[in-house]
Amino acid sequence: MPKRRDILAIVLIVLPWTLLITVWHQSAIAPLLAIRKVCHHLVKEILIIPERLTIHRQRLADDGTETRHDTGPATDSKEYCSQDKDIVEVVRTEYVYTRPPPWSDVLPTIHVITPTYSRPVQKAELTRLANTFLHVPNLHWILVEDSQRRTPLVTRLLRETGLNYTHLNVETPRNYKLRGDMRDPRIPRGTMQRNLALRWLRETFNSNSSQAGIVYFADDDNTYSLELFEEMRSTRKVSVWPVAFVGGLRYESPKVNAAGKVYGWKTVFDPHRPFAIDMAGFAINLRLILFKPQAYFKLRGVKGGYQESSLLRELVTLNDLEPKAANCTKILVWHTRTEKPVLVNEGKKGFTDPNVEI
Amino acid sequence: MRMRLRLKTVFVLYFMVSLLGLIYALMQLGQRCDCRGHAMSKDQQISQLRGELQKLQEHIKTELSKKTDVPKIYVITPTYARLVQKAELTRLSHTFLHVPQLHWIVVEDAPQPTPLVTDFLAASGLTYAHLHKLTPKDRKLQEGDPSWLKPRGAEQRNEGLRWLREMGAAAEGKEAAALEEAVVYFADDDNTYSLQLFEEMRYTYRVSVWPVGLVGGMKFERPVVEDGKVVRFHTGWHPNRPFPIDMAGFAVSLRLILTNPQARFDGDAQMGFLESSFLQHLVTMDDFEPKADLCTKVLVWHTRTEKPKMKREDALQKQGLGSDPDVEV
Repeated sequence: MPKRRDILAIVLIVLPWTLLITVWHQSAIAPLLAIRKVCHHLVKEILIIPERLTIHRQRLADDGTETRHDTGPATDSKEYCSQDKDIVEVVRTEYVYTRPPPWSDVLPTIHVITPTYSRPVQKAELTRLANTFLHVPNLHWILVEDSQRRTPLVTRLLRETGLNYTHLNVETPRNYKLRGDMRDPRIPRGTMQRNLALRWLRETFNSNSSQAGIVYFADDDNTYSLELFEEMRSTRKVSVWPVAFVGGLRYESPKVNAAGKVYGWKTVFDPHRPFAIDMAGFAINLRLILFKPQAYFKLRGVKGGYQESSLLRELVTLNDLEPKAANCTKILVWHTRTEKPVLVNEGKKGFTDPNVEI
Repeated sequence: MRMRLRLKTVFVLYFMVSLLGLIYALMQLGQRCDCRGHAMSKDQQISQLRGELQKLQEHIKTELSKKTDVPKIYVITPTYARLVQKAELTRLSHTFLHVPQLHWIVVEDAPQPTPLVTDFLAASGLTYAHLHKLTPKDRKLQEGDPSWLKPRGAEQRNEGLRWLREMGAAAEGKEAAALEEAVVYFADDDNTYSLQLFEEMRYTYRVSVWPVGLVGGMKFERPVVEDGKVVRFHTGWHPNRPFPIDMAGFAVSLRLILTNPQARFDGDAQMGFLESSFLQHLVTMDDFEPKADLCTKVLVWHTRTEKPKMKREDALQKQGLGSDPDVEV
């Protein structure tokens, strides 16, 4: 009957469009629109949106799964193969494109990997670190906790900062943890957490993607200037710069010759290491990390001060290093350490309300 | 009357709906740009990136400065030259840059302003006042003294107060009215402040108080609030002080400071009584305004930074091979 056919025709016309519009609104468009409103002069191509939508949906799907046991695939780092009994990884991540710090499509993303562990000053350290990171455009914070489960303190903190982050965790097995809190150079702290972050990056980004990125290892008690992040953004392979307060000196720095190439290390502590540099003194291009999927920090048998070398020697040679910070003459990062707070008045039973988060 | 639906009408209808939908989608997404298709030389790329960066940074600044109708916060920070000074000031400035209408008063413990702090403040992007006041030798901590021996920063904070009073006396009209609502906070350069803290203290009538983390030998010290009033303080260290509160745990309204010209910090006060020496001129415990969810949340932490080990540097300097002193650390 014509009447039914009319209705059918109208429905067939209107349905695809309503579907498209509702689906569009339900997914990531709303935050993207917010970004557009703030940075209205930035250009958004229609082609980029679907790519972002797929990434976002992928993350949401990950969120649905509970835990993923690490079965140590053969192609992955050899570090995890023998230890999968000890590690239960919860690789549930939250990759959130929320409000600005400003997000640009043109600037390379800086992926900052920060291992952290629970102690009284943790929230304070992460708070002031977040306050610094909020000024850096296109920063993606990968925070890896040394814990069995993601703690509510860190989860809440990350959510409240509004930063673009990924929250991971892996517990260092007891025999690798530092005994007490004394610095024992034979056992590198944060290694497993950094390796997990590297693995996450390799699983998330494939080498063919055009997303430019820089990887930087930032400890939660150091101090970073904003200029540092802009210096490292132009890294092609591995860039280096001086770091203050390391190696018992005012600062350690790479030695740069007149041609602008690194030929040595200005340090007192074992300057003959392959890379006599602190964790905060270098940044790696993401492409290099993806190109060499076997490169990880060595977990066992690493001498004190050689941890950075264990990763860098698998990625670059001395010749490939790019000196930054005005040919390594300016200090843009300080290896500060926070005093352990004296909590004597807490006593055995604890004087203060344990429900209050510090 | 029933409308006969012809094929032509169907097509016209479909075309209109599609067109409307497309226009809607395009409007939602903004303009299309063709420039990405072209191959750009490295230089062009770099300059484009730089331009992007500047635009984004300027945008943050304009967003922040738009808020001009909120009370100003004057933050007085005493500082002194030591190895970690630049690092401490740097990360402190990163926090302050997020707070609208913040005026930073930095008071150096020095006979004259140092180039390090001068250059740093000029590049920080903050609104600031750079003062200096040398602590007399007998009140100053000597090299081997433990940090708790003598109170620190009293003279510098008093200098900050003096500057504020001078400004208050010289202001008139709208400026003077704005000062009536302003708040003064004493922030040490090694503590950690959350952004929420500044919004809590912004609306202070007399003196507002809140908990401080990692101080007094405990996880946190806090005022105890009953019926919306502060009745006592929960602290394990010297709870019998007139005001057992840390410097970072209170803020004073500028009006109160201007109307009480005799209120200042007593540099000779016993350790831990510095805050009381100032507050007792201004308020009683009844007048305290509890903030941070009736003093149940910790929004500021009394962190302290370790003194960096300089064994090797000292050894090198003895040999005359110390690191380049021209490089500012």
